[in-house]
Amino acid sequence: MISFLRLFIAFSLRHAARHRGRTIAVVCGIALGAAVFTSVRLAVHASIASFTRSMDFFAGNADRVLVQPGGVLPEETLARFYTHPAVRDYTVLSTTYARKADAAAPPFLLIGIDPLLDRTFREWRLRGREAEAVEGWLDLLREPYTVLLSLPLARELGLAPGARLALEHTRRTADFRVAGLLEPSGLALVEGGRVGIVDIATFQELTGLYGKIDRIDLKFRRGVSAAEIEELARSLPQDLALHPPSAARESGVTMIRAYQLNLSVLSFASLFVGMFLVYSLVALNVAARRKELAILRALGAAPRTLFALFLSEGVLLGTLGWLAAIPLGAVLVRHLLEAVSRTISTLFVRVRVEDLELSAAEIAVSFAVTVVTSLLAAWQPAGEAMRVPPREAMDMVAPEERRRRSARFAALLALGCLAACGALLPLPPAGGVPLAGYLAVLLLFLGFALLSPFLLEHLASGLDGLLARLAGPPARLAGRAVRQGAVRTAVSVGALITAVALFTALVIMVHSFRRTVETWVRQTVSGELFVTAKLGQVNRFRFPIPEDIVEGLRRLDAAFDLVESRRWFLERGHFPYEFEAMGMETFFRHGDFLWLQGDPAAIRPRAARGEGVLVSEVFAARTGLRPGDRFEARIEGSLVDLPILGVVRDYRTDGGIVFYSHAHFRERFHDPRWSGVRFFFREPPADPEAELSRLRRAILERWGDRLDLVGGRELREAVLRIFDETFAVTTVLLLIALAVAALGIATTLTVLVLERSRQLNTILAVGGSPRQIRSMIFWEAAFLVVTGEGAGLACGVLLSGMLIEVINRQSFGWTFLYTVDWPSLGLSLPLIFGAALGAALPAVRAAFRQPPAALLRQR
Amino acid sequence: MSFAEPCPGAIVCARNLTRLFRLGAGTVTGLDGVDLDIDPGAFVVLKGPSGSGKSTLLSLLAGLDTASSGELTVAGERLTGRRPADLTRFRREVVGMVFQSFNLLPTLNVLENVCLPALLAGRDEGAARRKAEELLERLGLAGRARHPADRLSGGEMQRVAIARAVINGPALVLADEPTGNLDSKNGEAVIELLARLNREDGVTVLLATHSDLADGVASRTLRIRDGRLIAPPCGA
Ligand SMILES: Nc1ncnc2c1ncn2[C@@H]1O[C@H](COP(=O)(O)OP(=O)(O)O)[C@@H](O)[C@H]1O
Ligand SMILES: [Mg+2]
Repeated sequence: MISFLRLFIAFSLRHAARHRGRTIAVVCGIALGAAVFTSVRLAVHASIASFTRSMDFFAGNADRVLVQPGGVLPEETLARFYTHPAVRDYTVLSTTYARKADAAAPPFLLIGIDPLLDRTFREWRLRGREAEAVEGWLDLLREPYTVLLSLPLARELGLAPGARLALEHTRRTADFRVAGLLEPSGLALVEGGRVGIVDIATFQELTGLYGKIDRIDLKFRRGVSAAEIEELARSLPQDLALHPPSAARESGVTMIRAYQLNLSVLSFASLFVGMFLVYSLVALNVAARRKELAILRALGAAPRTLFALFLSEGVLLGTLGWLAAIPLGAVLVRHLLEAVSRTISTLFVRVRVEDLELSAAEIAVSFAVTVVTSLLAAWQPAGEAMRVPPREAMDMVAPEERRRRSARFAALLALGCLAACGALLPLPPAGGVPLAGYLAVLLLFLGFALLSPFLLEHLASGLDGLLARLAGPPARLAGRAVRQGAVRTAVSVGALITAVALFTALVIMVHSFRRTVETWVRQTVSGELFVTAKLGQVNRFRFPIPEDIVEGLRRLDAAFDLVESRRWFLERGHFPYEFEAMGMETFFRHGDFLWLQGDPAAIRPRAARGEGVLVSEVFAARTGLRPGDRFEARIEGSLVDLPILGVVRDYRTDGGIVFYSHAHFRERFHDPRWSGVRFFFREPPADPEAELSRLRRAILERWGDRLDLVGGRELREAVLRIFDETFAVTTVLLLIALAVAALGIATTLTVLVLERSRQLNTILAVGGSPRQIRSMIFWEAAFLVVTGEGAGLACGVLLSGMLIEVINRQSFGWTFLYTVDWPSLGLSLPLIFGAALGAALPAVRAAFRQPPAALLRQR
Repeated sequence: MSFAEPCPGAIVCARNLTRLFRLGAGTVTGLDGVDLDIDPGAFVVLKGPSGSGKSTLLSLLAGLDTASSGELTVAGERLTGRRPADLTRFRREVVGMVFQSFNLLPTLNVLENVCLPALLAGRDEGAARRKAEELLERLGLAGRARHPADRLSGGEMQRVAIARAVINGPALVLADEPTGNLDSKNGEAVIELLARLNREDGVTVLLATHSDLADGVASRTLRIRDGRLIAPPCGA
C-alpha cells in the first residue's frame, strides 16, 4: 500500500503537476459537470423536502385520514366515530388561503381546527409563559374571530398579540384579533412558516362552508386489526375515501418525481461530457507514457499495479473536480432553487422553499456519482496501460498497426449500440419512469461517440485532395494529422457530439413544445377577461363565486359573451386530475381545443350537447381510456358516468383534465356553481382596449373585493413566461455542457500540438511560415468541430424524436407537434462552430512555445 | 578580437557572432564571437565535440534562431534583425536542412515529404512532383515514392531528407550530424550523396559532425570548441 502510494506520487502526481494546464482544464470540466448535477439535485430535493415536511406536519400522528376527493365532508360524518369501537381519537381539519385585506402581501395558509380535539394529533404550541399560552388557546375556543399567527407571519404583517387583523377571503373580509403567536414547531412550520390557526367554527363562518370540513383525522384503539379498519372503510358513504395520512404527500411526490428525474438526467449530461474529459486525459497519459510503462513493467511492476495507477488517476481527477464543484455549486444552487421551486409550484404542487438544507444523502450521491463516473472513464485507458508489453521498452517505434483496426472495431460497436437503442425504444416505462428510454438515449450517445474515429478518418481522407486544392498545404497536413490521431481525438469529438446533440435535441424539443403551447394558449386559453372568486387560483377553486354576484355578472354587459366554468380537483386511483364543467357552446363560438383524437367537426356539437366528456392527452395516457370508453367519477355527491368523445391537448398541469358542458352538468347532475368565468367580445368592437377597461371598471366597482380579475392577454403572456422560465434552467445546463465540450476540444488540440512540436518545427525549418502552422492547427480544429457538429446534429435530431415521443410521453404523458427550429439552429450552430474553433487558440499558442532551433538538439 | 571586413563573394559571412542562452538566473554561451567566411561551392566540415556549439551555429545560419550579437549574412541576405516573414522566405529559398534524426513527417509518404517545401513555398504542385520524382530517382529511391515515410530504414529516411532539403534549389545545405543515427555504411552513402550534390549542382554544403566519415570529401575543415572556432590552418 505504502509503496503503491509512493509510486503514485512519483509517477502520476508529479506528471500531473508537470502538466498542470491539462490537469486543471480537466478538473474544471468535471467541476462544472458535478456542480450542475449536485445543485440540480439539491434544488429539487429542497423543494420536495419542504413539501413533504409540510405534509407531515399536517398529517400529525393520525392513523387514517377521511376525505371526500375534490370536495368537502359534511360535519355529521364525525358523529359516526363518537362511539365507534375501533376509533380512539378523532379530529377535524380545514385549510384555505387568506390574505390580509388591503395588502399586496401574498396569501398565507389559514388552518381551521378544533383546539381541544386536535391536541392529541398535531403539535402546536403558543409562545409565552404557561399561563399566557393557555389563555391564548382558550381564547381561540371561547371567542369567535381570534387567530393564532406563526412567528414569521406575525413579523411579516407587523402584528403583536392583541392586534387587530382584517382577513380577506372569497366571500368576505372579517376582522380578527391576534390571540397569540405560535412557537416555530409542528403545525407552525407548514408552508415555510406562513400560517395562521383559527377555530373550525370561525373558519366555517369566514369561508361560508357551514357544517363542512376538509378532513377528519382518526386514531385507532390499540390492537385494532386491519380487517376492522377495512370494515370501517366499507361502512362509509361511497364518495368518501379513507387514506393513510401519507397519501397526499405521496401523490404530490409522485408528480414531482418525473420532473426530478428529467432534470437529474439532463444535469448528468454535463457530468457525462466531463467523463469524456477524464477519459481523454488518462488515455493521453497512457499513450504518451507507453515507453515508461514498458520500462516499469520490465523492472518488475505487475500489470495490476499499472491498472491501479491510472484508475487512481481517474479517481483523483474526480475527487478534485468534486471538491472544486463545491463553491461553484453553492452559487448555482441559489439560482436553481428559485427556478425549480417555481416550476414545481406552477406545474405540480404548491411548495414554499425557505432555505436550502444540505442533505447528507444528496452530497454522498453527488460525490459517488462524480467519482464513479471518473473511475469508469479511466477504466479503458487503465486497461490499455496494463497490457503494455515489457518488450516495448526496447522498441524504437510505437505500435502503429492497432490504430486502423480499432477505428473499425469502434464503428462496429457503434452499430451495435445504435441497434440496441432502436430495440429499447418501444419498451414501456417502468413504474412511470421511462428507464428503457433513458438507456436508449445513453446508447445513442455512445453509438455516435464510438462512430467518431471512423467518421474522422473517412472525412479526412475523403477531403484530402479537395482541401489541398482549395486551401493549400496546411489543410492537407491538417487532414493527415487528424487521420493519424483519429482514435485519440475521437474522445473529444465524442464529447462535442454529445453536447451538440443535446443542444440540438433540446432546441427542437423546447421549440416544438413552445409552438404547441402557443397554439394551445391562443385557442384554448382564449378570452378577453378571466374572472374568478377571490383567492380562487390559490385555493384551487374550491369556493365558488356567490350566487348574487353570478347573477350580476350575467346581466352586466350585453356586448360580451360569458363562458362560465367550475373546476374540481379529483383523483383516480393515485392519479390526480381536474374536472372542468364549462360553457362549451359559447366557448366553441370563440375558441377551440387542440384536437388530438377524434373528428373535431363531429365532436364539437356533441360536446356542446353534453353527450360526453373530452379528456386531455395526459388523462388518456395515464388512465388508458380512449374515445368510446366511459368516464366515471363521483363529484360532490353526484355519480358522473359519461362516454369519452375525444382527446385534446392540454398543458395546464401535469395531471389530466376532463371537460364537460356546464349547462348539461347542471341538468343531469347538480348545480356546479361558477368558480370562474371568461368574457369574450360578442362582436369585434371598434376599440377593444376601451371596451375591456370599461368592463374591468364595472366589475371592480361592484365586486372588486370579492373577485380576482386577469386580462386574457396578460394570462396568456404569463403562461408563456412561466414556460420560458422553466426552460431557462435547461438552457443553462446545456450551455455548460457545451462549455465542457469546448474545453475538451481545447485540451485535445493542445495536447496533439505539444506532442507534435518536433514535426511543427520541421515544417518551419523546411520553409513553412508561422502563419501556415497556425492555419494548419485551425484546419485540424475545423475537422474535429465539423465532424463533432455534423454527427451531433444528426444525433440530436434522432434524440429530439426520442425525447418527444418516448421520454416526454412516458414521464409526463404529453406530446407536442414536432417542428424544427431552423432559425435558432441556423444561428447557434455556426456560433458553436466559432466557439469550438476558438478552442484552438491555446493550441496555437502552444505550437510556438518551443523554439524551432530545438529541432537540432538531440533527442 | 578579430575585426574582419565584410567579405564580398562569400556565401556565408559571420562577424563576431554570439549566441547566449538564458538558463535560470545565469547564461550559457552557445556561440562566442565567431568570425567565418565560406566561399560558394565549398564543402565545409565543422568538427567539434558534443556541446561545442555546432548546432547553435547551424541554426543561426538556417534562420531558425537569432544571434544575441554580431553580424551574419548568408547568400547576400543579412540575417540579423530580420522580421519572421523574411526569415521564412529565406528558409524557403536559400537554405536546405538535414537533421540527425531525419525529421520526416510520419503522416506523409515519401514523395509528399520531398515535395513539402515546394508546396509550402506555394510552387506549382505538378512541377514540384516532377522535380521530386527526378530527385528520388537520382538518390536511388524511385521505387519507394508512395511508401509511408515511417516505414523506411534509417539510411533511406536520410536520403529522403536530403531530397527534401534540395527540392527548392537552395544555395546552401546545412547538415547537422546527418550520420549520427546511421551505421557506417549508410553514413558513408549519405556523405557521398551530399558530395555529389556539391559537385554536380554546385550546392555549398556545411556539415557538422564529430565523426571522421566526411574527412575525405571536405574542401575545408573547421574546428569548434566551447563556442569558438579554433583558428584553422588557412584553407585547410
Ligand atoms: N536552447 C538552449 N538553452 C540553453 N542552452 C543551450 C540551448 N541550446 C544549446 N545550448 C547550449 O549551448 C551549447 C552548445 O550546444 P550545441 O550547439 O547543441 O552543441 P553541439 O551541437 O555541438 O553538440 C551547449 O552548452 C548547450 O548546452
Ligand atoms: Mg548538435
